[in-house]
Amino acid sequence: MSKVLEIKDIHAKIGEKEILKGLNLDLEPGKVHAIMGPNGAGKSTLSKTIVGHYDVEVTEGEILYKGKSILDMEPEERALEGIFLSFQHPVEIPGVNNAYFLRTALNAKRKHEGKEELNAAEFLREMKKYLEMLGMKADMISRSLNEGFSGGEKKRNEILQMLILEPDVIILDEIDSGLDIDALRAVSEGINLMKDGKRSFLVITHYSRILDYIKPDYIHVLKDGRIIKTAGPELVAQLEEHGYESIVEEA
Amino acid sequence: MRLSELKNKTLPEAAALLGADEKAVALERFMQIGLPNKKSEEYRYFQVEKLLDKAYRTLTYVPKPIEEAEKIVIVDGIVTHAPHGMRVYYEQCQAMDMTHFDPMYYLGHLLSPHVIKIDLDGDTDVEIEHHYTQSGALIAYRIVLINQANRHATLFESFHDEGVKDALVLYGYDTFVAPDSTLRILKNQKMEAEGYAMITSHRLQLEQRANAVIKSFDMGAGMGLQLIKADLDRYAHIDAGHLLYLNGEAQRGTVSKIIHKGEHSTSNQEAKNILDGTSRGIFDALIKVENSAKWTKAHQNSKAILLHERAYMAAKPQLEIYIDELEASHGSTTGQLDEKQLFYLRSRGISETEARKMLVIAFANTLIEQIKDSRQQEVIKTTFEEAFYAGEKDMA
Ligand SMILES: Nc1ncnc2c1ncn2[C@@H]1O[C@H](COP(=O)(O)OP(=O)(O)OP(=O)(O)O)[C@@H](O)[C@H]1O
Ligand SMILES: [Mg+2]
Repeated sequence: MSKVLEIKDIHAKIGEKEILKGLNLDLEPGKVHAIMGPNGAGKSTLSKTIVGHYDVEVTEGEILYKGKSILDMEPEERALEGIFLSFQHPVEIPGVNNAYFLRTALNAKRKHEGKEELNAAEFLREMKKYLEMLGMKADMISRSLNEGFSGGEKKRNEILQMLILEPDVIILDEIDSGLDIDALRAVSEGINLMKDGKRSFLVITHYSRILDYIKPDYIHVLKDGRIIKTAGPELVAQLEEHGYESIVEEA
Repeated sequence: MRLSELKNKTLPEAAALLGADEKAVALERFMQIGLPNKKSEEYRYFQVEKLLDKAYRTLTYVPKPIEEAEKIVIVDGIVTHAPHGMRVYYEQCQAMDMTHFDPMYYLGHLLSPHVIKIDLDGDTDVEIEHHYTQSGALIAYRIVLINQANRHATLFESFHDEGVKDALVLYGYDTFVAPDSTLRILKNQKMEAEGYAMITSHRLQLEQRANAVIKSFDMGAGMGLQLIKADLDRYAHIDAGHLLYLNGEAQRGTVSKIIHKGEHSTSNQEAKNILDGTSRGIFDALIKVENSAKWTKAHQNSKAILLHERAYMAAKPQLEIYIDELEASHGSTTGQLDEKQLFYLRSRGISETEARKMLVIAFANTLIEQIKDSRQQEVIKTTFEEAFYAGEKDMA
């Protein structure tokens, strides 16, 4: 079976503390992988490790993307190659216009792919359909990036970026937390739009709610820096009922 | 001449050196304060002695017929162009400030045989282009600006050096802001490392209910200091903003004294400083509230971002207060670009250089976007980008 992302025995530190302790995980093309696990288990650390966040120091192991190691790649190279992370806590950037940011990101990608860059007018035309779909007010793209956005608005803006950039591996770190029902539906719709049988998703969540909308193919349990169980979607019910304590690490 | 030769001279000797009248009041004041050195408070962060020790050619300032153009053009201290109908002429300076803190203000006056007087009649919007073409020269000229009561005038200044090396420019305004008027002076200046150096010494006199806006956008490398003294009468208001974007070994910035003399006068001064390379930014700014200036409001703030570990910001906002009935605040911060913000942009495929540029521009824009005229705003943004990319190239 082919794999788009192979995480092999990753050990990673934040500061002096080892957070990921020999983590293994493979993402298959076209599949939705959900990761669940207790607070502080290392889920966000895993997502940061994949995108090359400066907090994380990898001490052992390897990450292959489409067969090539990415650990030495800059964050922007990983992004241009098609890896996308929707942040658990997107940062606010006062003074950077959201539309300008989105267009700069899209044009960086287009340039990387040898395509022509879009001007402001062409870009806005492209954007319109997504804004409507995500229920985003038009002024949200004329404002400063994430500045003063509500929690839900920030998450919609992450999904907007995903839609525009059309990445191949999409990591969603608690995209569903803090969303009301309408927002959850809109965000899920955006995610489902990206499913094309080739893209892979890594959905980090604490709740089964979002998994009702975006049907996962695999559930992985991450605990204490490692994936301790992988199963089908039926595992969600067991977790909801008995908690993480009930999971025994597989050999 | 070497300006440092003026050190420890008697009054007649100095008069002879400068070709000035021994009885000139400016000379007397200049001798009183003395040539600036590294111990002078106003020049403590700026290596002025390096400039004063150099030998410069002196120029003669012979007025030329002024041709008609859209802008005022001043080449090496001589007016060459001015808009149709605008009164631009030379005269002996009639109203020098006898309490200016800057010796170079007086030296500038002493070295200029006359002042260039510009009458801003009615509501006007005028551009001044300063051109420097003489390498190794000492270029000294003074401008007197007069506007009219109840009128609103804007002056937009830019500087063009045409590859000049090692010149020293001494210039500045004596400005009288009429009652109930507004005068806005915007300065856009990008300097090069080995080009001309500049000491600008301004004096602004704000009459009752006068409104002055003085915004400087100083970018690039080189040596440049602007010294500003502003006196505020009753209900006068000054809005001062200073952007520094420096790279290389630049030493640039502002030394200012805003003096509240009249009741209900208000001042607002804001500095944004972005420093790269081994540059040094200066914001040494005093707001003085005299005991005649009850119910004054004075706010002052400086923010600096250091893009390089060897860059240095000398930020000294100071308040000197002689009354209780006032509202005042001041503060300064110095930091780096926000790592989280930088990472966020990069994680979307934006290169590190571009991401840094976006964050730096976002910071600078808070000042640039205060300029109402969108064309002037564009000009400044373009200058900023040129300076920024030149700086990035240096780093590579
Ligand atoms: N910048 C940091 N500095 C120090 N410790 C950190 C930092 N970031 C994360 N940690 C620690 O690493 C551990 C794993 O954190 P991580 O954010 O990966 O957990 P998580 O599984 O995403 O938890 P949650 O479900 O609460 O989001 C925690 O103990 C956390 O305190
Ligand atoms: Mg987390």
